[in-house]
Amino acid sequence: MLKKEQNDLLTHTGPGAPMGQLFRRSWLPALLAEELPEAECAPVRVKLLSERLLAWRDTEGRYALTDEFCAHRGVSLWFGRNEEHGLRCSYHGWKYDHTGQCVEVPSEPAESGFCGKIKLASYPLVERGGVLWAYMGPPELQPPLPEWEFATVPSDRRFVSKRLQESNWMQALEGAIDSSHVSFLHRGELNTDPLFKGSKGNRYNLDDARPVFEVVESPGGLYIGARRNAEHGNYYWRVTQWVMPSFTMIPPRGDHPVHGHFFIPIDDEQCWTWSFDYKVMRPLAEQELESLRAGKGIHVACVPGTFRPRANKDNDYLMDRAAQKRGETFSGVHGFGMQDASVQESMGPIVDRTKENLVSTDNGIIMARHRLLRSVKAMLDKDVTPPGIDPVHQRCRSASVVLPPDQPFKDAAKAALVVQDDHEHVTV
Amino acid sequence: MRSESARMSSASEALFRIGSPNSRPRAVKVIALDAGSEPVVADLAERHWNGAAFFTAADLTSDPARLREEISAADLVVMVATAGESPHEVALIGECCSRTRVTTTGLVMCDEKTSDEVLSVTLGRLRPWMLMLVVASSSDYIEDMLLALRA
Repeated sequence: MLKKEQNDLLTHTGPGAPMGQLFRRSWLPALLAEELPEAECAPVRVKLLSERLLAWRDTEGRYALTDEFCAHRGVSLWFGRNEEHGLRCSYHGWKYDHTGQCVEVPSEPAESGFCGKIKLASYPLVERGGVLWAYMGPPELQPPLPEWEFATVPSDRRFVSKRLQESNWMQALEGAIDSSHVSFLHRGELNTDPLFKGSKGNRYNLDDARPVFEVVESPGGLYIGARRNAEHGNYYWRVTQWVMPSFTMIPPRGDHPVHGHFFIPIDDEQCWTWSFDYKVMRPLAEQELESLRAGKGIHVACVPGTFRPRANKDNDYLMDRAAQKRGETFSGVHGFGMQDASVQESMGPIVDRTKENLVSTDNGIIMARHRLLRSVKAMLDKDVTPPGIDPVHQRCRSASVVLPPDQPFKDAAKAALVVQDDHEHVTV
Repeated sequence: MRSESARMSSASEALFRIGSPNSRPRAVKVIALDAGSEPVVADLAERHWNGAAFFTAADLTSDPARLREEISAADLVVMVATAGESPHEVALIGECCSRTRVTTTGLVMCDEKTSDEVLSVTLGRLRPWMLMLVVASSSDYIEDMLLALRA
């Protein structure tokens, strides 16, 4: 349970909102690089942290992320012409460069210097790992470029997708931190999804439906360890990483690619769920890529030409009661991603956390909220840099490992929880 | 036409959610396991709670009948320990919780200087008896957790 003011603080991320300020201190995944494939390509509307923006590339291929609307009369520059080192408003021809600086106002004499007085808000946008990252915070506090491992491996070793989620970002994040729902909501998929099935770890998962949890603070957020019984009195540990504010990495299964998410607020009632899969030492196999593109694993199939899932609230998530009855899916919704999204969207755009009844196994969620609230306060009151911004915090890994009963995962799996160059994830 | 899922998950429909309480107060017993955690638990005991009760381990383990009585009346037992301590009483309390099928949560308080070795000692002692273990670097987490659990 949270007080209303705490819930508001965590869920409101628009300009000026404290949680919005915390998000603005990080590089945020804004677009897939393929959305802006070449110089002078079509601009793309982007809404992030409740700000309407336009992403585009100028004649030299430089990335731009600027206010969507022309400073003159408020026309959307999405209708603009991308030409000769700038974006020209199609209404009266005002032209802007990639920094948002107005460089031409045709109705005014060039000598007047009027256009020099007009500048749209703009934010740095950089490509890394097939993703375009935006930094929307104070320029003097711009951090080093993101160091998430999936974004640093060769391009044939990763797959990244994004989908629209029609709920507040915290509902999506809390689902990713809450490991205990897997044995229910996703139980049908563990043995059938091509990107999950066949690992030895699945057997431990299914044989022991009552995991024991350990939640430990990490430099960037939390380690969430789920412990299940293994052979000879040993424990099977699955250690999820949460790095503030909204990165999670799911523990690996066998030789399958490792995956995780970012949850990025579009506004207070929608977010982008970013999903990545990668291997460190080998290219993804064609079969794996086929499955990933088809929306298997944690990815989803989208309406062609959009990032809206094909199964969405307007078609009742393609609810399949017969499959639910047969036990193929627990909820009747197919696929990990939409199983999560459907239940989280059903809570409403912003769930009222004053009414919830948390239990002991929700300590991961409780601790994540606690850390977020504490970090916002420290940032605002004492200028403390929030966790997760330091690239060292980003060079982390999830792990699945079998350990003797007397060894805490944080010690025994210490090396497994950070990036080890030239080594795959530690996995069972 | 909008689907039922689309309509029912809208902000306007959220206004029609039933507002009456959906739970009754639960009995949470908070137990300080060592000298380091006693002042923290004593401080918490001074605040207003929905029925949470606070003890030291010695309070309960010195009187087995009382231990049984308190545990059997609990919905949740939270045990608080300090990193580096190896509280023996946890076995007695944990066993009692296990017999009565009461959920247990262990909270280990540490700070930035706490080494992994020191922490391991305490975690190793608590682990067999806890369904949830949390390592927290600030004691204010305990209050947040109890509030979150409606203790």
